[in-house]
Amino acid sequence: MILIISKNKEVTTDEVIKWLLVMDKKFIRVNEDEVFEIKVASKRIYLESHRNRFFLDEITSVWYRRGGLKFKQTSYKNPAIQTHMRETQHWLEDYVLKTLEAKKHINKQSNSHVNKLMVLEKAMQAGLDVPQYYLANNTADVALGETIVKPITGTPILNAIDGKANAMMYTTVIDEPEEQEFFPSFFQEKVEKDFEIRSFYLNGKTSSIAIISQNDEQTKTDYRKYNIQKPNRNIRYNLPKEVEEKIDLLMCSLDLNCGSIDFIKSGNKFYFLEINTIGQFLGLSEACNFSFDREIAAYL
Amino acid sequence: MNYFNLYSNILLTKGANRMLISDLQRRQSEIQALELYDIIEEFKTNSVEEVFSFYDDDSKEMVQEYLDFLLEKEYGFITTGDWDRNFAPLSLDYLDYNKISNLFIERNDLTIQPGLIQSIANLQIKHLVIYCGGNVSLSDFLKLEANFENSTVDSIEIFAPYHSEIDENFIQLLNKKAARIYNLVFFNCENEPFKAENAFKFDLLFSPQNLKISSCGKVSIDYFDTNITKVLEAINHNSCLNKKIGIDIHGNIKNCPAMPQSFGNINQNTLEQALTHPNFKDYWNLTKEEIETCKDCEFRNICTDCRAYTEQTHFNEQGLDISKPLKCGYNPYTNEWEEWSTNPLKYKAIEH
Ligand code: SF4
Ligand code: SF4
Repeated sequence: MILIISKNKEVTTDEVIKWLLVMDKKFIRVNEDEVFEIKVASKRIYLESHRNRFFLDEITSVWYRRGGLKFKQTSYKNPAIQTHMRETQHWLEDYVLKTLEAKKHINKQSNSHVNKLMVLEKAMQAGLDVPQYYLANNTADVALGETIVKPITGTPILNAIDGKANAMMYTTVIDEPEEQEFFPSFFQEKVEKDFEIRSFYLNGKTSSIAIISQNDEQTKTDYRKYNIQKPNRNIRYNLPKEVEEKIDLLMCSLDLNCGSIDFIKSGNKFYFLEINTIGQFLGLSEACNFSFDREIAAYL
Repeated sequence: MNYFNLYSNILLTKGANRMLISDLQRRQSEIQALELYDIIEEFKTNSVEEVFSFYDDDSKEMVQEYLDFLLEKEYGFITTGDWDRNFAPLSLDYLDYNKISNLFIERNDLTIQPGLIQSIANLQIKHLVIYCGGNVSLSDFLKLEANFENSTVDSIEIFAPYHSEIDENFIQLLNKKAARIYNLVFFNCENEPFKAENAFKFDLLFSPQNLKISSCGKVSIDYFDTNITKVLEAINHNSCLNKKIGIDIHGNIKNCPAMPQSFGNINQNTLEQALTHPNFKDYWNLTKEEIETCKDCEFRNICTDCRAYTEQTHFNEQGLDISKPLKCGYNPYTNEWEEWSTNPLKYKAIEH
């Protein structure tokens, strides 16, 4: 039995599930609106929510996609008992999560949210080229026109920023100095690119796609700013073997076995930008006739 | 030295006299001269300068124009020193997870038997096409929709005769309640009851034509579709019948309602049983490469391949009909389109 931890209406999960059905593999999908109680029957631990019920030892593999397993918390009036039960609950949950993570898996709830700054350090240790970067709270040392700023957070989306619409934080080039000090922000040397590369990594195997936007001023800094009229070219690309080996090293050092990885190709160099463990990759997968959804299903 | 690299999602289809360049990413195809095909082939094994040297001074200008055209359309790019060999070819494999993707039913009403609903669920069918010969009321439509709540069916296309109850209010109510209907055609409609602007969840058409099942299978430039999934399916399978199943007006289970062979009857058999018939999938892997005339046509990868209405002139050793679709007026050898039904040679086949 495969355990899938995801969210409602998550398209990548839906697509992978369609493949699991054809492959006749049994699975349980857990969404964000489920709260589990840890229970025991004939000495076997099982988890139960309003929708799902499964024994821990039935699970053969786990795909952590998004969200996470949530557990029901019971309160007790007596503060001493409350403290004690909290701790009991904590260790039980810890046992359940660690047991699940010890099974065959694709990514883990505990480390799937990567720290961009740590990742860059590890990438350099793995021998990948990384554009110069630093944190600053003013623009005094920022080389104007040659530096970009981007969010440190995992998601670039500001939910309902004006009460209604979401805002997307794009990577932007710094053209003007800022008078005032600001919150520590992430600055990085702007690399003149030939094109961008997005690699999909699954358990040691890397498949890459070149995203070519060179003919197009509008998409020059960040390919998420799509130009609908003339979309970027998305073409299958083979990274050099030694870059793929370094990716493998990096992913192993982060204990991740699935994710998409962004690079910039500049001359003969491949600059590592970031790893995204929960991004959407099916659009690119389809454009290049890769079947990443099928590969995930096959691995589970 | 400079080298021209053709992007791997640009598909060239060579016809008898012309070629088609299909941009699988931007979903466009255009017709070009065969000489461009040859030039692109030369660019694959020679540097730009070498290719120019193959041509005399007059022709060099033409090569330059073609090269400019390829670059301007972003069909490829130039590198110096060598081709960029890290660009990998596109795999032309076609993988999908459907056992059956499309069910095409011909009926006189919209009722679907519970057994058939179960089969649709078992086979995880996504698209349903219903040609209905009798009048359909609003509640019939809503019952049909209700049949597929919480099912794998995500789109329903319906052809039904127009009748006087169908007015703006009817359609408004349907629009409010329907979730899966995405295309609705009312035929035999002399006067549109109202102007059907794109105000609905589904596409709506009032057609004056008297549509029949036999109206299916027309080939026209308007129906060509440069969609990567469709094109890959067409390269590997029959572009109309792959993973399709049909039920005709008498309940016969077929590849499509208009195909001659029956693999059982829905009143006695299930779709699953019909599918296990050893010949059910025979046409699924018949591609345009094997179809007479179509195999020399530049449109073969973006065209549909009707197997129900054909010229009935050629059959392969397996007994499969490999003649050209009847309702195509295109001749890839002369590059002319003519009205297919006025061609006297085709009368014989129509009478069948
Ligand atoms: S085979 Fe011909 S008649 Fe049958 S569904 Fe295809 S196009 Fe229509
Ligand atoms: S000849 Fe065949 S491939 Fe060409 S347009 Fe007609 S039916 Fe399509």
